[in-house]
Amino acid sequence: MKKQLTILFLLATFIANAQKEPKEKDSIPVLLGEVHLIKILKKQLETEMKMAVSVDEYLASSDNISFIKRGAYAWEPLLNNMNTERSIITIDGMHIFGACTDKMDPVTSYVESSNLSKIDIKSGQSGGLSGATVAGSIDLKRKSTPFGLAKKWNGNYQSGFEFNNKQFFNLGNVAYSSDKLVAEGSISYRKAENYSDGNSNEINYSQYKKFNTSLGLAYKTSELSSLKVDAIFDMARDVGYPALPMDLSLSRAIITSASYKQLFDKGIFRVWDTKVYFNTIEHEMDDTTRPENLVHMDMPGWSTTYGLVSKVNLHKENYSLETQLNAYNNLSIAEMRMYPQDRSKRTMFAYSWPWVTTRYAGLSLNNRWDISEKSALNFGGSLGVNYNHSKYVDFNWIFHPDAPQEKTRFLPSLYGGYTLNLHQFNFSVGAGYGERAPSVSEGYGYYIYNSYDRYDYIGNPNLKNEISYEANASAGFKTKKMSIQTKVNYFYISNYIIGRVLSMGSPMNYQSVGVKGYTSLDYATLFNFSLNADYTILKNLNWSGSVTYARGQDDDGGNLPFIRPLSYLTSLHFSYQNYGFQTSVNGDFEQINYSPEYGEDQTPSYTIWNLSANYTFNLNKYKAIVQVGAENIFNEYYSTYADWGNIPRMGRNIFTSLKFKF
Amino acid sequence: MKNIIFWLAAMLFAVTLSCTIDKTDYEAELSPTVTEDYIFEDALSFNTGDYKISVESLNGTFNKGYNEIRLQLTVTETNENLAGAEVTLLPIFSSDDVATSCPHSYNLVYDEAENAYVGYAVFTSESTSLESWELYFSLTANNQIHQVNQQISVEEQLNKNLNITSFTGADNQEYVIALVAPRKPKVAENELIAGIYKYNNPTTPAGDFPDPSQFSYSVVEDYTLLIDPRMPEPSMGNHSTPNNQDLTQGSDGFYHGVVNYTMTGAWTLNFIMLNSEDEVVKGTEVSTAFTPGIEGEKGELYIDTLF
Repeated sequence: MKKQLTILFLLATFIANAQKEPKEKDSIPVLLGEVHLIKILKKQLETEMKMAVSVDEYLASSDNISFIKRGAYAWEPLLNNMNTERSIITIDGMHIFGACTDKMDPVTSYVESSNLSKIDIKSGQSGGLSGATVAGSIDLKRKSTPFGLAKKWNGNYQSGFEFNNKQFFNLGNVAYSSDKLVAEGSISYRKAENYSDGNSNEINYSQYKKFNTSLGLAYKTSELSSLKVDAIFDMARDVGYPALPMDLSLSRAIITSASYKQLFDKGIFRVWDTKVYFNTIEHEMDDTTRPENLVHMDMPGWSTTYGLVSKVNLHKENYSLETQLNAYNNLSIAEMRMYPQDRSKRTMFAYSWPWVTTRYAGLSLNNRWDISEKSALNFGGSLGVNYNHSKYVDFNWIFHPDAPQEKTRFLPSLYGGYTLNLHQFNFSVGAGYGERAPSVSEGYGYYIYNSYDRYDYIGNPNLKNEISYEANASAGFKTKKMSIQTKVNYFYISNYIIGRVLSMGSPMNYQSVGVKGYTSLDYATLFNFSLNADYTILKNLNWSGSVTYARGQDDDGGNLPFIRPLSYLTSLHFSYQNYGFQTSVNGDFEQINYSPEYGEDQTPSYTIWNLSANYTFNLNKYKAIVQVGAENIFNEYYSTYADWGNIPRMGRNIFTSLKFKF
Repeated sequence: MKNIIFWLAAMLFAVTLSCTIDKTDYEAELSPTVTEDYIFEDALSFNTGDYKISVESLNGTFNKGYNEIRLQLTVTETNENLAGAEVTLLPIFSSDDVATSCPHSYNLVYDEAENAYVGYAVFTSESTSLESWELYFSLTANNQIHQVNQQISVEEQLNKNLNITSFTGADNQEYVIALVAPRKPKVAENELIAGIYKYNNPTTPAGDFPDPSQFSYSVVEDYTLLIDPRMPEPSMGNHSTPNNQDLTQGSDGFYHGVVNYTMTGAWTLNFIMLNSEDEVVKGTEVSTAFTPGIEGEKGELYIDTLF
């Protein structure tokens, strides 16, 4: 059915395509201060190596993102080596929360690279514009077509095949743009089978199927204002998680929003952008595919969020202010029903998220003062109110009899930074302070099985706010031919929330070895370092490289889990006429600072080599690119420090893709 | 424009076709094994002399386990309630010509608020075609004694949370433990209430049947019931719960404690019964090991529950 839809879509867009001479653009300015025009056709998300990437692969190309991988699908992004509880992941500023207690569905799994234009990653408190955070924010920016394009119909279509896991994908976009109306849509379908590791062994339960479609309609209500409605529908089925004891039968997201944008051509007000949104996620795990399971469990989860985000940008001379109001309400529900071996007996039921409501409202400010041509000061902060309510608080009272059913927290944050450009050098220093509330699982989770350390986790409603103190600095040097940039940040996080073995209670999940409760460490520290360099060797031969290092320690000097060891990436890019060639080598050093206490073992070093070539050509009137490449050419057998259960990564993978633009 | 319509249609199609499952109705989830009507209704009604006796029980039935009994005494002529009479109750179980009894309150106490004589009986078995229960009443009013007996039917206890156990302790005494509350447990901290009764060995030879001194039970005083709940289901691997509280006697004579149930389903409440000198009367400690695939531990003294 979905294939047919895709073909139908293709036909429709080909027929509808109309080519005209380009003329003056009449697009709408989007961001504060710098009024810049949207490019006629946004570039698709793509990395140096690969032009058809998944959202996860794209994020992986960023320095401060690493991933916990439970299989081939839906990787959990770690920002600054901190897990998703400590970062804010939004889609166009909209808050969305996964519906899986086992983090099988990070927010990034509900979008598709073909309907995103870019991903905004902000480190630490500078990411506090959309809410309370410690690690920073990741905002997935959707594509947005400007009004009144010369070419009324635009679109592109991308298809490809990856040999290792027989992944076949089709991604299509189409946009219509007139003076008053913009309509855009996308549709995509990916289907992959099990992948094979570097020893050419098939990794069972690593298949997936993902369907994603989106629709946007914008209407220009006046010269300076517009109204827009957007919807994304995403559905994944039959997704295997080789590192977990169960798979996924369905995850489904409906993400909708309506926004109004008003521009001002005079005065200090520049843009006012307000959006109301609603999204609902349903997630169903499935363990019937695993014959080794002793117990059959149903574990459905639901997460429903509605909210408001309103932004105002002000600008006067060398001073600009961005202010954002965020408000949302989320209801997270997760159930578990265990079936006895004798199915005629009564099933055993409990909530792993006992109907937990989270309400947040906060106001954030971001100021920029350009002191001179060379230097600028950035500062801001936010104040938020976070409210939690657990409907079936009885569940929480089993471990925390004194816990209140409702809890309100105040979450302040502050940050400041100074940047200086001196000739070819640039420097920056900054500091920040921020607090975050515990997540639903940390606060109210109930017997959530973590297959990594094999413990059942219990939330604690009485946890204190996690408080982060942060310092960061960067220095760089840039000439026409080369650039080098280094960044460091350091987090001192007090009341650091982590699971510790509880002396009471006994496991509920049969694979489990004990019960852990979320508790606060006095503090933990995290240090991140990255170095990037770029060198143009010849006009069409470019080298770039990067090194990252991180260290995380708890209050006892012990190692924190999921901290990336020393890692490197080096790549060469060569272009000749219509051809492009890329090659890269990347890897991690041996993991020295691992944490047995949190279930980690030492991960050896690995190096993988990738190669790709592409050719750009015109097919009739359409511009087309074809790419062929291979990842992990030497078929190295490896798993990274953050591969759940040391699941081996994909072996040699030859990929091909073809892209049309019209 | 056609495209837009196409898109809308495609999306609606996808949204409506993708199947979803319903959220569990938690209230309904807790009830299927438990009847929720707690109304006292007539279970038995008869006349003796100038009086009418109505015996009320919950839902008008007698079930195995703890039964609260309310007896209303009315003067037939005036249809008025009679307070101040002396009313006794003696349940007798006849099986193969052997008569036994069960824990009960021999003297029913008049309760002003309820206008009834209140007591209880803890039936230890169900009525069958060969074995039957009879209630022997004696009524002393106006210096006249009326004695009457009525056969009753003791039915199966459908609410497994009111199960009982009968046993002989290390002191060679016969005991009965009956669960009284919670009738409708939740996945929560539940106040657990149990009655502990002891058969009083007769010290005198039997008189005319039924001689109350041969069938005397009393509430056990000042004992302690240590509790360790476990799930019997093999796949739960002897799962237990934290923060339970041992049962101690309250001013109402019952034993009160706390049991935490971490999920619905079948549970085993393992007990160790200590007497007032803290000596073990019955019960053994169970293993706390987590044993996936092996049935949960049952000690020497336990009561199974289900919700």
